[in-house]
Amino acid sequence: MLARACWPEPADDGAAPPAVPGFIVSSFNPLVIEVAERCLRQVFGEPPAAEPRRAAGVGILLASAGGDQGTARALAEAVAAGARVPPLLFFQSNPNAVLGHVAARWGLAGPVISLGPAATGRGETPEQTCRLSLAEALTAAAVLIGDGDAREALVLAVEQGTVPGAAGDRAVALYVAGDG
Amino acid sequence: MADTDTRPQRGVGITGIGVVSGCGRGPEALFDAVLAGRPAFGPVTRFDVSRTGTGHAAQLPEVHGLASELVEVIGGALRRARLDRDAEPSGVVAQTPVLLAVHSDLRIADVTGQVAEGIAERFGSQPPCRVYTGACVASSTAVADGAAHIRAGRHERVVVAAGYLVEPDTFAVFDAGRALSRDGAARPFSKGRGGLLLGDAVAAVVLEAVGAARRRGVEPLARLSGWGGAGDAYHVCRPRPDGEGLARAIGMALRRAGAAPEEIAYVNANATGSPLADPAEAAALRRVFGDGVERLPVSSTKSVHGHALEASALLELIVTVLALNTGRLPVNAGFLEQDPECRLDLVLGEARAARPGYALSVNSAFGGANTALLVGAA
Repeated sequence: MLARACWPEPADDGAAPPAVPGFIVSSFNPLVIEVAERCLRQVFGEPPAAEPRRAAGVGILLASAGGDQGTARALAEAVAAGARVPPLLFFQSNPNAVLGHVAARWGLAGPVISLGPAATGRGETPEQTCRLSLAEALTAAAVLIGDGDAREALVLAVEQGTVPGAAGDRAVALYVAGDG
Repeated sequence: MADTDTRPQRGVGITGIGVVSGCGRGPEALFDAVLAGRPAFGPVTRFDVSRTGTGHAAQLPEVHGLASELVEVIGGALRRARLDRDAEPSGVVAQTPVLLAVHSDLRIADVTGQVAEGIAERFGSQPPCRVYTGACVASSTAVADGAAHIRAGRHERVVVAAGYLVEPDTFAVFDAGRALSRDGAARPFSKGRGGLLLGDAVAAVVLEAVGAARRRGVEPLARLSGWGGAGDAYHVCRPRPDGEGLARAIGMALRRAGAAPEEIAYVNANATGSPLADPAEAAALRRVFGDGVERLPVSSTKSVHGHALEASALLELIVTVLALNTGRLPVNAGFLEQDPECRLDLVLGEARAARPGYALSVNSAFGGANTALLVGAA
């Protein structure tokens, strides 16, 4: 493991992750972007990441048992009420989208993989669930690197709190590399 | 392709398939429709579409719930692979991992939980050991991971299953994003295309080490000869216009198979009918195949069965296997007129006889995710 970053850290002091233009209503995507940013800066400094040949071998994996519940709830409520669905929800309607944002910003051109609930189930708290999701993502990263489509990987686990909003949100980002 | 099969027995075969789609139940209904170029789109009757700009999708007349349909197709795939309890009472299914691809929404915990209960009760299976949620490449990523497990010797066989049933929330959000075609048709690669149409698909395959299958007396339907994944690193949802990421994924699949581009006899394309994305895919194919792309039959069967989101890649892999086995190539339906940015040898009007060779199935998704699956004769 080359780097690790978390949300929240003590310095975050209860604040929400910075808003990101183009992503609305939910803390999920800003959380992914912020924790990825904290991790990648440790490895590469400023974006873009390494020279293109290295960057082509960096995969991005995200595991989340709950997924982007903020977006899913906003969409479900709008549909149930017969209200207009904000078009921006389409662009964040699946977890690959935010990974594409990270990949584009940092030039990471390896495989992009999103995972759901681990077979080990959910924890009793977002923190516990986040740990299980991280283990899930790390296992998948090992398969990816072992099989050869990536040499390194940004591994993310994100879980939103049970109350809509930033409180209780948890995220971890690791940057890992294969042995070879 | 070599006359003498010197490929190692750790090669990955596809020994079972199970599928339902908007074209009907079972692989025959699906393949008949794609060979005929007969789109399955019709008015949506499952929920209210009076507030959306389009009202069409490829839907089964009756469905029994996503989890229930997933359990059924897994059963179908196991039966075809002669792994059901009648044929294989040894309980080998209990040791066979299940990889599942479904949409990430508020129901995912319930769906995966019900699938786990269903496959435990019906087949003695363990719960799905991994759930893939990566949109249009979710199920192809699962297939690649399953193949990686087998190739590495960690498992002799893996079940990969995926499902999407057209439902109000995804329909509404795709409509809000102006992604849906508004003329009742999906027209991949065609001038005048206006977007995608959604479609039901619930599918499962059994991937198995070729040697293990033959020891059981089962001949694979086809061989998964190669696979690859790569990213565009370009945009939240738009593909790289030059197709570089998809071209790399295809290159990885070819290298794994030890196959040269000229050995590819058919491409089942990802193309959804998107004004922006279809040309990017055409560019990717040209990067890989050069001028040979003009003699390489291509079709996107989303023109018939619709876009089944997380299940689409697995559905299209099944179509590709059937095309390879029968030597008949599906039609790229909905075509109006050539788009100069999509100059490909499209299979138009009627099914075409295939020349010997591999068949390639490609998929791309939001986030610049690209996958390629290469299928060869068993």
